[in-house]
Amino acid sequence: MDDADAIKRCQQGDREVFRHLVERYQKRAVAHAFAILFNRDDAEDAVQEAFIDAFKAIATFDTSRAFYSWFYVLLRNRCYKMTAGRRPTESLDETLLVSSQQGMADDTRLAIEKALHSLTREEREIVCLKYFSGLSYDDLATHLQIPRGTVMSRLFNARQRLKTKLAGVLIREQEV
Amino acid sequence: MKELSCEDVLMAQMAAADGEEPAFSKEQLAAHLTGCANCENELKLLLALDRVLVSHTVAEQHVDLWPGIENKIAKPVLGWRPFALIGLLLIIYKLLEMLPARDLGLAFKLVPLVIVTLLFVFIKENPFRINTELVMER
Repeated sequence: MDDADAIKRCQQGDREVFRHLVERYQKRAVAHAFAILFNRDDAEDAVQEAFIDAFKAIATFDTSRAFYSWFYVLLRNRCYKMTAGRRPTESLDETLLVSSQQGMADDTRLAIEKALHSLTREEREIVCLKYFSGLSYDDLATHLQIPRGTVMSRLFNARQRLKTKLAGVLIREQEV
Repeated sequence: MKELSCEDVLMAQMAAADGEEPAFSKEQLAAHLTGCANCENELKLLLALDRVLVSHTVAEQHVDLWPGIENKIAKPVLGWRPFALIGLLLIIYKLLEMLPARDLGLAFKLVPLVIVTLLFVFIKENPFRINTELVMER
């Protein structure tokens, strides 16, 4: 069953079909929420609440649009609500990344995680969407509801900060 | 022709590295890079950053959010009518009880208890259940 069919059936009141959408997107959504919140439990709570928001608003969804980019806006709102007024966490207790390359040092992964943690949530979000979800600039603009030019400049600023934080790692990488 | 800044050039070069259409022509970018050692060095670092990030993926963990979501979306919203009906029944009971010189027996006295029990059955709640879903404020 594709998304459009599932959504049409949900719009007709079939709750059970919503399960397909949850199961299809929950893993991706938790990874995205985790990139913003940097806490697994909070990420799962935010995704759960965002799916409930999506279910309540499903009648207004235009089936010609992609479900996930619509849902992502709800998810972001949930994540931002959760972080509003909360101090950023000092430490990283959970693993965000795994190296897909054999022989990549674990301290490199840790350094990347720490560097990502030091970014603003908007910068971290765009970097994670770009690198770990493989979104194009146009997709980023749609997901984040910002113009393409802002995508480029935000990504540039995030990269500049990461470059500074990861100077040691990058020098090693250049030597390889 | 507009003079390109180092930021323009680096942004455009990274857009090209990302497989996107850069805002400036290859010739313009190359002309700037050959005369700007700083940009050349910066670009090397940015490309190294790109390689390092690309070689990592998000750690996958088992997630099953459906049971929690199902519970919340399956709860039908109760309208006001059942509660209004129960209220009305209780008022009628009270009025009957107030009638003078009428002893309707023990069964009649149990009517409110039956009504309240039916209410809990109807809303599918156990009044004796300890709520374990309370979350402590962080």
